[in-house]
Amino acid sequence: METPFSVYFKYHVMIEIHLYGKLRSLVPGSSACEDTVMMVDFVENETFARFVERLGLHEKDLGDCFINGNLAKKNYQMKDDDRIGLFPFNMVLLCGGQHLKGHGYTKEDVDVDYY
Amino acid sequence: MSKILRINMNDQSHKWESVPKEYETLAGRAFTSAVVNKEVEPTCHPLREFNKIVISPGLLAGTPAPSSGRLSIGAKSPLTGGIKEANAGGLTGNRLGRLGVRGIIIEGAPPTDTKDWFSIVVRKDSCKIVKTNNYAGIGLYELIGKIWKDYPVKPGIIGCGITGQRLMKCAGVFGNNPENTDPGRYAGRGGLGAVFGSKRIVAVISDPTGGTIPTPKDKERFDKGRTALREALQKHAVTGKLNDDEGNPYGGLKNYGTNILQNILSEGGGLPTKGFSSGRFNGAAKISGEAVHELVDKVKEKFGDAAEGRYAHACHPGCVMSCSNVVPYEKTGKAHVSPLEYETAWALGANLNIDSLYDVAEMNRLCNDLGLDTIEAGNTLAMFMEGGIIKYGDGAAAIETLKEAYKADSVIGKIVASGTQSAGEAFGVTRIPVVKGQALPAYDPRPIRGIGVTYATTPMGADHTAGYTIAAEVLGIKGTVTDPRDVKKADLSRTFQATTAYLDAVGYCIFIAFAILDFDDGFNGMVDTVNAFLGKEIDVGEYGMAILKNERDFNKRAGFTAADDRLPEFFKTEPLPPHNVTFDVTDEELDEVFKGV
Repeated sequence: METPFSVYFKYHVMIEIHLYGKLRSLVPGSSACEDTVMMVDFVENETFARFVERLGLHEKDLGDCFINGNLAKKNYQMKDDDRIGLFPFNMVLLCGGQHLKGHGYTKEDVDVDYY
Repeated sequence: MSKILRINMNDQSHKWESVPKEYETLAGRAFTSAVVNKEVEPTCHPLREFNKIVISPGLLAGTPAPSSGRLSIGAKSPLTGGIKEANAGGLTGNRLGRLGVRGIIIEGAPPTDTKDWFSIVVRKDSCKIVKTNNYAGIGLYELIGKIWKDYPVKPGIIGCGITGQRLMKCAGVFGNNPENTDPGRYAGRGGLGAVFGSKRIVAVISDPTGGTIPTPKDKERFDKGRTALREALQKHAVTGKLNDDEGNPYGGLKNYGTNILQNILSEGGGLPTKGFSSGRFNGAAKISGEAVHELVDKVKEKFGDAAEGRYAHACHPGCVMSCSNVVPYEKTGKAHVSPLEYETAWALGANLNIDSLYDVAEMNRLCNDLGLDTIEAGNTLAMFMEGGIIKYGDGAAAIETLKEAYKADSVIGKIVASGTQSAGEAFGVTRIPVVKGQALPAYDPRPIRGIGVTYATTPMGADHTAGYTIAAEVLGIKGTVTDPRDVKKADLSRTFQATTAYLDAVGYCIFIAFAILDFDDGFNGMVDTVNAFLGKEIDVGEYGMAILKNERDFNKRAGFTAADDRLPEFFKTEPLPPHNVTFDVTDEELDEVFKGV
C-alpha cells in the first residue's frame, strides 16, 4: 500500500548521505556501530562544494569524502540518486610510509583535496 | 657497540660476533634480507636445518626517537617459498636495541627425532639456550604470563605457538605487548612461526637488565630531528592528540586505530567482502574502529576503573601515535583481545560476511592464543566457506573451526592452520586469493590497482605494507597516475616499495607518513634522526632499492620468475561491485616494476 511517505520518496529525487564519525550527529539518535544515513533533496546544478554548504558543513570539517565510491571533488556536479559518504576531518585513508617527499609523486601528481 | 648473536640449534651453542663493515648501516629488514640472501640456500627446505631465522630491531629501536621501536624477523618463508620479512611492534625491538643486539641469527636444527623444546634467553653480553618443555603445547596467553613469572624483569618475548610448533604454514611469530597482557603483536605473515617450530624454539626472551639507550653519532642533530618529528606527529589530525580542547575526539588513529579504515574502504567500494565477491560490506560499521571506540566508552561508563577496554594504546615503548586498542567484553568490561586491527577485523569479519564484533574479537583472541597470522587465518576460513564446509556469515561455525587447531589429532585443525592456498585446493576452490602462496590483505586490487601491482610484484607475496599505494590510488590522483595503462603505475609501486623498505629498516612505524608527508619539518626531522644516528648521509631510495635487490635475488635463485608476479586469474575476470571493475593492469606493466633490478 502506498503511503504519503513512500509516494514522496518514489517521485521526489533524493540523495543518500552516509555519515561517519562526528558527522553522525547530524542525525539525532545515531550510533557509531550502525549505518547513519540521511536523505536530502536533490537540487539541480549543484556542485559538491555547494551541497556540503547546504548541509551546514565547512571544508575544515571534512576528511576523505566519497561520491558513489569515488573521491569527492569540490566541483563535481551532483546527480540525482548519488550516494555520498562524508567522513570528518580526522578520518582519511592511511597513507602508509611511502609518501616520502622527494620521490616526485606527492609533489608532482597529488591533488590532495583534504577538505 | 652493536653485536650479532649467532645461535646454532644443532647443539644449542652460541657465539657473539661484531657487525661486519658491509652491515654497518644495516638494521631491521635491511639486515634480515641481507643475511638471508647471503647465508640461506634459496632452494633449501624452509622447515629443516638449512633455513635460518634472522631477528633484527630497527636501527633506531631503543632510542628516544618517537615511534621507532619496530622489529623485523626474516627467513625463507614456508608459505611462499621465497624470502620473507615480517615486522611488528611489541616489546622486543626496544629490548634488543638497548642490549646492543644488531641481529640474532639462528641456524641449524636439533635432530628431527628430538622431543625437547628450547627457549633462548638474551641478556646484556650473554645468552642462554634453555630446555623449556613446559612452554610448549600451551596457549600463548598462558605462556607469556608464565615467562614473566619465571623472568620477572619485564622481558620482550617473541616466538611460536602451538600451530608453529606443529609446523603449520599459517603460523606467525607472536610478540608480547608492553604490559604483557596479550601476545598479539604479531610478525604475522609468511608462516615464520613454523620456522621457529622447526628449530624446536618456543620463545626468544630479551632481558632488559643493564641495557642502555643507543647513542647517535651526532647527538645534537638527532635530538633536533626527533623533536621536529614528534611535533609534526602531535599536530596532525590523524596522528595527533586524543581529544580537542572541548573534549571531542581529535586524533584519528588514537581514537579509532587502523580500523578507522573499515568504513572508509567500504564506502570507497574497495573492502573485499564475502570472499572477495564485493567491495562494500553492509555490516562494516558494526566491526569498525568507531564501533570499538563506542564499546570502550560504554564499558568505561559501566565499570569505571575496573574497565579494561582501551583506545589510544601504544604497541611499543616510545610510540606517540598509540593506534592500538584493547577490545573489552561488553558484559564484564574485561579485556577480550588486544589489538583488533583493521586487517584482522576485515579478515575475520567482512571477508567472512560476519558482522558481530564479539565473534571477530573472539576469533582474533583464538588466533593470538594458537599462534596464527590473522590475515592468513581469515582467508583460510573463507576457503572453508567457499568450499561449502561452513557457511558465510556463520560466526559460531568459524569459531569452532578455529578451535579445532588446538587438537593435535584434528584434520580440520591442521587444514585451518595450513593457510589459504592449501585449504582452498583441498576443497576444490578455484578462486583462491593468494600471490606467491600468501593470502591477500584488506584492499581489493580491482578498484585499487596500485595495491594490486604491489601485491603481484613485491618479493613478499601479497602484502599491503610492502608498497602502500592506497592513498595515491583511491584519492584519485590525476588521470595519468590512476590510468592503469600508464606505465607510471609501475614507477609508483616500485618507489613506494623502496621507501617502505627503508622505513622497515630504520625502525619507524610506517604511520609516521602523515607527519612527514604534510609537514616538511617532520620529514627533515625523520631523515636527520637516521643520518645523525649513523653519522652519515643515507639516500632513502638507494637504501630501499638495495634491500629489494637482495630480496629479488634470493627469490630468483629460489626459482621465482615473472610468472610469479601475477594476481590470481579471477581478479581479471570477475568484476567487483559496486564499481564493477576488474584488475586490468597488463603483465607487461607488472614486469616494468622491477625491470632490470
